[in-house]
Amino acid sequence: MNPYLWFATSALVICLASCFYHFFRLLEFGKPQDYSKPLGEITPAVKYSFTRAMDPRKKESAFLHLPTYTAGIIYHLGTFLSIALFTMFWLKYVPSGWFKLIIIGFLFLSSICGLSILVKRIIKKNLRTLSNPDDYISNFLVTAFHFITALTLVNNKLFPVYFIAAGVLLLYLPIGKLKHTVYFFAARYQLGVFYGRRGVWPPKQEGF
Amino acid sequence: MEKLTKEKIKQGLEVLDAGMDGKLFTHLNSCVHCGLCAESCIYYLAFPEGKFIPATKVDLISSIYRRYITFTGKVVPGLVGARKLNDETIVEITDLFFGACTMCGRCVPHCSIGVDISYLVRKGRQMLAKMGYVPESLQSTINTALKTGNNMGITEQEFIETLKWLEDDLRFEVNDDTACIPLNEKGRNIIYTLNPREPKFFPLSISAMAKIFHVAGESWTLSTQMYDATNYAYYSGNHDEAGIITQYLFDEIQNLEAKTCVLAECGHGSRAFRWEGPNYLKKEYPFEVITSVEILANYIREGRIKVDPEKITECVTLHDPCNLARTGGIWKEQRYILRRSVKNFVEMAPNGIDNLCCGGGGGQLAMSEYNERRMKTGELKAEQIRKTGAKIVVTPCHNCVDQLTQLNITFKLGVQIKTIAEIVADSIVPQDQKVISKNESVEV
Repeated sequence: MNPYLWFATSALVICLASCFYHFFRLLEFGKPQDYSKPLGEITPAVKYSFTRAMDPRKKESAFLHLPTYTAGIIYHLGTFLSIALFTMFWLKYVPSGWFKLIIIGFLFLSSICGLSILVKRIIKKNLRTLSNPDDYISNFLVTAFHFITALTLVNNKLFPVYFIAAGVLLLYLPIGKLKHTVYFFAARYQLGVFYGRRGVWPPKQEGF
Repeated sequence: MEKLTKEKIKQGLEVLDAGMDGKLFTHLNSCVHCGLCAESCIYYLAFPEGKFIPATKVDLISSIYRRYITFTGKVVPGLVGARKLNDETIVEITDLFFGACTMCGRCVPHCSIGVDISYLVRKGRQMLAKMGYVPESLQSTINTALKTGNNMGITEQEFIETLKWLEDDLRFEVNDDTACIPLNEKGRNIIYTLNPREPKFFPLSISAMAKIFHVAGESWTLSTQMYDATNYAYYSGNHDEAGIITQYLFDEIQNLEAKTCVLAECGHGSRAFRWEGPNYLKKEYPFEVITSVEILANYIREGRIKVDPEKITECVTLHDPCNLARTGGIWKEQRYILRRSVKNFVEMAPNGIDNLCCGGGGGQLAMSEYNERRMKTGELKAEQIRKTGAKIVVTPCHNCVDQLTQLNITFKLGVQIKTIAEIVADSIVPQDQKVISKNESVEV
């Protein structure tokens, strides 16, 4: 195994181990004991939390901020795609032909989206007040990873740089806010439990 | 404000350390600082500054958690924005958690991740309460409740006298000498609770409910010892005091051997007793707890009372209390009642579980130091009401009634503010009549 791939692979192992540590710690803390009598059911509410409650037509964070929301969605899709490509590269498979061109195009687009989110954070006073160095670093590392992945598909001589970038990102992921990779799912679950018990989610039909 | 000591810091951090569970751990670690929650908050809408963004409030508590409890925050605090608890932070937290959040929870379903922001603000208040930083104005209301059993310090004699003249009025209104407001009766189906504002300032809402119970033929009672549905310690975050207040009511329900406790029209009271109370006491209730809105809807649905929408022809709109609707699951019931009790019901926009807070929640009405902010945030509600063109604003919450009454005067809305029970009592058909269709005559 070449040293660059070895570095990225080691980083992946550390990243996965750290994410599992976060996840098991979460399980270890356990659910808070709730003695109140439930008014609704938890399972449909948790399902709702992961599905219709995420509908952009229902969330002001989406429909009041369509450009940012759209950029965010493309950015996250770019991240999923980059992770999939990392796995493919690790398995020594490199896409080719039209498929490769589409991927390159999408990753350049997602890089631009990531960059625009970063620029927004820098220029908007309210967002600057809210931000700490981790917010900028996390955004930069992920955006750079998309960009370098695309460049590597264009020119495969860049693989050493690619694996170093991937390794740095994977090592940083469990430290800062990128660990929302784990906590996002836990937060949606907890919200479903809370609103489900209270009979808020899923919304009741007329006539109750 | 008292100086922060090491002992106080230790007590405050216990909330985040010893009190840690999966839910708290999740929400403390989930915010990505996207700031997209800003426009869902009435404080940010009224004052578009960074410090009023809900995510800033999340960051206040999670930055302290990172600084004292996480490895990264201890080693590289600057990288992850971990902050120390010091006198400066305490001033900022107290101002934002008590004075710039009603814990209405509107930002929560709109959060792009799903962070329970109001839950974290409550945790922040809990920390401040442990450290002794509850605003004095709020604490004095709690002290009154702890000392007298109700937050307005009404004496038992004063309460009984009020109820006696309300009983006389009830007999006259329903034209029945046997009509009564039962006091301290054991073994009844229902023990009804009140917001102490009712006997003090709004006795007609007690009459309204008594009239409805009478027409429905309900077996009910009021306690003269403990009838207060409110719990301001829920707002302060002092769980010990909240537990004592909950225990007062719990004991009285047990003492009177009532099967069901019906909570008065009080948003935070219903949340504090129904949802938080069992957790303050760390036990399940051996009796049922429902809100008066639910029982009124049930009476209409089951035909135990009849209402005539022709009796209220003015345009009516509804304000949903956050603690009843958004975090209590009760928002269809009040609509069910109003669509049958009034002729012209119009919705505000937004409404239901997405409704805007009136600005009076979270203990704001008890904290006079934040009055200016409260009225400014309330202007959003005033505009919502104005746009409906309604002449009557109904809300099943006495806290909201107070705030809406002040908004009505300040912003010259020219509306009447009523509770659900008052609307039902106004539109109720006496037992010996039936509701008539347009072409029928009244049958007596």
